[in-house]
Amino acid sequence: MSEIKVNKVSPRTGTYVSLNTVGMKNIIINGDMSIAQRGTSATGLGNGDNGYHTCDRWKLLESGTPTYEFTQSQSTDVPSGQGFATSLKMDCTTADASLNADNLIRIAQVIESQNLQYLKFGTANAESLTASFWVKSSVTGDYNVHLYNYGSGGGARIISSTYTINSADTWEKKTITYDGDTVEAFLNDNTAGLNLTFTLGSGTDYTSTDATSWGSYSSGKLAYGQVANIASSTANNFYITGVQLEAGTTASDFEFLPVDVNLGRCQRYCTVFMDYGAGDTNSNRLYNSDYANVHGMARMGYPRMRAEPSLTYSSVGFSIHADYSSNGLIQLMASGDTNFRIYDILAEAEL
Amino acid sequence: MNFISATYMYDMEGVNKTHIKLELGNNKFKHIPMNEANTDYQAIQEWSAIEGNNIIDNGGGE
Repeated sequence: MSEIKVNKVSPRTGTYVSLNTVGMKNIIINGDMSIAQRGTSATGLGNGDNGYHTCDRWKLLESGTPTYEFTQSQSTDVPSGQGFATSLKMDCTTADASLNADNLIRIAQVIESQNLQYLKFGTANAESLTASFWVKSSVTGDYNVHLYNYGSGGGARIISSTYTINSADTWEKKTITYDGDTVEAFLNDNTAGLNLTFTLGSGTDYTSTDATSWGSYSSGKLAYGQVANIASSTANNFYITGVQLEAGTTASDFEFLPVDVNLGRCQRYCTVFMDYGAGDTNSNRLYNSDYANVHGMARMGYPRMRAEPSLTYSSVGFSIHADYSSNGLIQLMASGDTNFRIYDILAEAEL
Repeated sequence: MNFISATYMYDMEGVNKTHIKLELGNNKFKHIPMNEANTDYQAIQEWSAIEGNNIIDNGGGE
């Protein structure tokens, strides 16, 4: 048997590697915009179109009653030689050169609380966070990007920073480091914990209050420092990819994941079934089976999601009477109808 | 959230409300579970709190 003899064992000094700085270090899901289950293009996005449209996990947020409209798409325009194949594009199709005071255009990712515990927010050891990303826009100038902490009961908090797009229509890499929030912790559950938000245009209601250090949320902080307005002309567009948010004060290289891993992470929040979006009622259909010779029932299992999802589907000539679905199973019943089918099925349990 | 109508769905026994069914048009529907963890449910609650907005309750019938 081998033997190791030492005279003294001393504590390690110097910098420790924080948890999650290697392997799955990126808090952001689908930062390379490679997964777009709902579709690769959505047109006419403006008033009332808060939500998820193309690239998975990326939420469009608008405020007020804007008149602008955008097409959002998964684009193949990417920074050269960086390994990216896709980006998220916002293309202005109806302009609003002078936003109303209550108008706000944002793209955000909301992150689940229980994935954030290692950041130690709400303690003196709260980890700093560094965001890095590639952007390209026809509109140069200053853009707001902020973190929003949903909190654990003490109220929401916010910190923001700005970056500058220096050259029109040119890919630029940006890096921003935020202090950790030593005041407010995250809940440890499946609810929203933190969001990383990119502002693309703002009215004056949201730009007036300094938010360059962590503080209680107020709407005046939401777009502090934002000058650029990508809605100002139909010639405008905005691209973003390679979004990474990681613990620490330095930005490491973007963490590329295999498609199965990336898709699996997205499917906790959104799952599409069969040939979603094709409108094909033949190969894209989920048939019922008989239930007690009275009720038709359609059933299909899928990977467990964050919570019981909303279920969107199309149907032919019948009405679903009852829904016994859960966060891993579609189970729909049509009373008195033993022959039905649904298609273009989308399950969403987004934050 | 754009939809034509919102109706409560009940279980097969017609006793318990389980979902809110949105009619989206063109034979397209959305079922929203009555679960606070679902952000669509949070949104439809905000919508229904506005005067004049109403979730249809047929008491378990379609």
